[in-house]
Amino acid sequence: MAKIIKLALLGTAVALFAWGCSKEKPETDPAPKTAPETPADTTLNLDALVADTLSADSLARLEAERLEADRARLEEMINRIMLEDVYFDYDRSDLTENAKRLLAQVAEILVNETRFIVTVEGHTDERGTEDYNISLGARRSTAVRDFLIAYGVDGNRLMSVSYGEERPKVQGSDENAFAKNRRAHFRVSIANNE
Amino acid sequence: MMKKMKLFFCAMTLMLAAPTFAAIDTIAVDVGISVFQTMPIGIVPFEEPETIKWANEAPHQILARDANLSGRFEAVPSEKFDLVLFSKKRARQYVTGQATKLSNGKIKLDCYLYAAETKDLLFGESYTVKSQEVRQAIHMFFDNVVYRLFGERGVASTKLAYVSVINGVKQVMIADYDGFSRRQITRDSTTSTMPVWQKGNKGLVYVGYRKHRPNLYAISFGGKETSLFSQFKQAYGPAVNPKTGELIFSVIDNAGHSELYRGDMKTGSAQKFLHLPSNQLSPSWSPFASEVLFTSDRGGSPQVYAVGRDGTDVRRITFMGHYNERASWSPEGDRIVYTSMDDGKMNIYTCALDGTDIIQLTSNAGNNEHPTWSPDGKLIAFSSDRGGSYQIYIMRKDGSGVTRITNGNENKSPTWSWFFDGKK
Repeated sequence: MAKIIKLALLGTAVALFAWGCSKEKPETDPAPKTAPETPADTTLNLDALVADTLSADSLARLEAERLEADRARLEEMINRIMLEDVYFDYDRSDLTENAKRLLAQVAEILVNETRFIVTVEGHTDERGTEDYNISLGARRSTAVRDFLIAYGVDGNRLMSVSYGEERPKVQGSDENAFAKNRRAHFRVSIANNE
Repeated sequence: MMKKMKLFFCAMTLMLAAPTFAAIDTIAVDVGISVFQTMPIGIVPFEEPETIKWANEAPHQILARDANLSGRFEAVPSEKFDLVLFSKKRARQYVTGQATKLSNGKIKLDCYLYAAETKDLLFGESYTVKSQEVRQAIHMFFDNVVYRLFGERGVASTKLAYVSVINGVKQVMIADYDGFSRRQITRDSTTSTMPVWQKGNKGLVYVGYRKHRPNLYAISFGGKETSLFSQFKQAYGPAVNPKTGELIFSVIDNAGHSELYRGDMKTGSAQKFLHLPSNQLSPSWSPFASEVLFTSDRGGSPQVYAVGRDGTDVRRITFMGHYNERASWSPEGDRIVYTSMDDGKMNIYTCALDGTDIIQLTSNAGNNEHPTWSPDGKLIAFSSDRGGSYQIYIMRKDGSGVTRITNGNENKSPTWSWFFDGKK
């Protein structure tokens, strides 16, 4: 949050400075007044015009840079959330201590960044029936959603969905693959109306 | 004893249906190891001009496959009529025919069922079809042979719906019950799975992830996909009432619980079926829609339960093991097939309606799951990864005669169609 304000202030300062320069320029230069009908006039006006455009350009560029920095920061946060999956024990949907630690970090971000809309996907390993795994995935995604709500995240920004065994993260039929596939995964989007 | 009675009844029907050869004693009442008493039947190649090129198999090969898959017959193939062979193998009847290419490009198939000893014609039927319809015509003839000899409908004309992985996406497919004539039904970029047949085989109902969550969809063959019960955020596991066509399925509520709902496909209205605190999934109707089987974890592990169609009188069926799921009621009414997981491996079992008399049908062959009954109750199709990738297999209801019917990429989750109303 602090970073945003700092960036914004800096942006404003630079913009003001640029604006000031372009305004002052015609006044400090007496040339147009002494010889108003010389070709120099056009040259001067042209100069002013160029200065004006430049300043508008830099303004836009700074604004773009600010937005870009903001977006990069959001993206970095989104990536952090989306990279971190919450893992579960076999055939369980209760949260492990590790899961709770990770979820507390995610919740912290979501409480502060209210523009994020999050879908919690519940996944299972390939063992068991397709039907049972959809029900298990639903319980997992809901357990994660419930934890985040209890932490203070607005439930309206949290969707939960079950993929069952549909989307394994890792291919393979060994315990290593199973453990990585028993997970809740976050999908994050940014709300349109800020 | 029941079995004996039934077989006796079967023999009676047989005599009534085919008085011309009442002497056949095809049913030896020896109910011991195998549930099936297969009846040997001679298969003789059709008389056919060499100009006919068959797409996959010649008519007599299709008939031999139908006979061996049916669970009723054992094919006795012979290059020509051979009384010695037929007598030795106890084949009291044989099938053969004649194929003719017509000037309009169509093929005329004259199909016959003969008594082996007398060479009397018992039954004959003629089909004029396009070359791509040959299999269909032969299946139809075979089902009529079943009807003549057993007084029951055969399943050679039925189909399977299943799920294929195509370009990395699960798509719903249909095929003839023997795996031929495959056809892709869904063409979406998101997962389609869990297909079941609408009543009268008018189309399919299945689960699609079009909105990045599981929802029910319906499609008619050659038609457009329509969304069903979109009032629910997440729904899955549809089952079709064999009498009314009504659906029963699981809905995931806000608390993450799976609960059973009954719904009318046409009006889109749905009501909660069971008021239980546990998760309920994998519903399946009894043949006369008087009861519903489902899985519940109310006892701590997934187990099979039955409940009356009004949602009362819940009773537990499975008690053995810690994971019994996806039960399905035999069309004959007397058995339940389900999937059980033990030691991380899935296998298929049947049991009586009260959960007793458990018979393990698959073992020591990878994972075996998603059993589905043929509409005559004689066969079970299922998916197995015994060969490396998941493929669809058919077996008899006693676990014998396992035959793979798909190949290639991953194929799984079969559901058998209802009977098709063909000509009799």
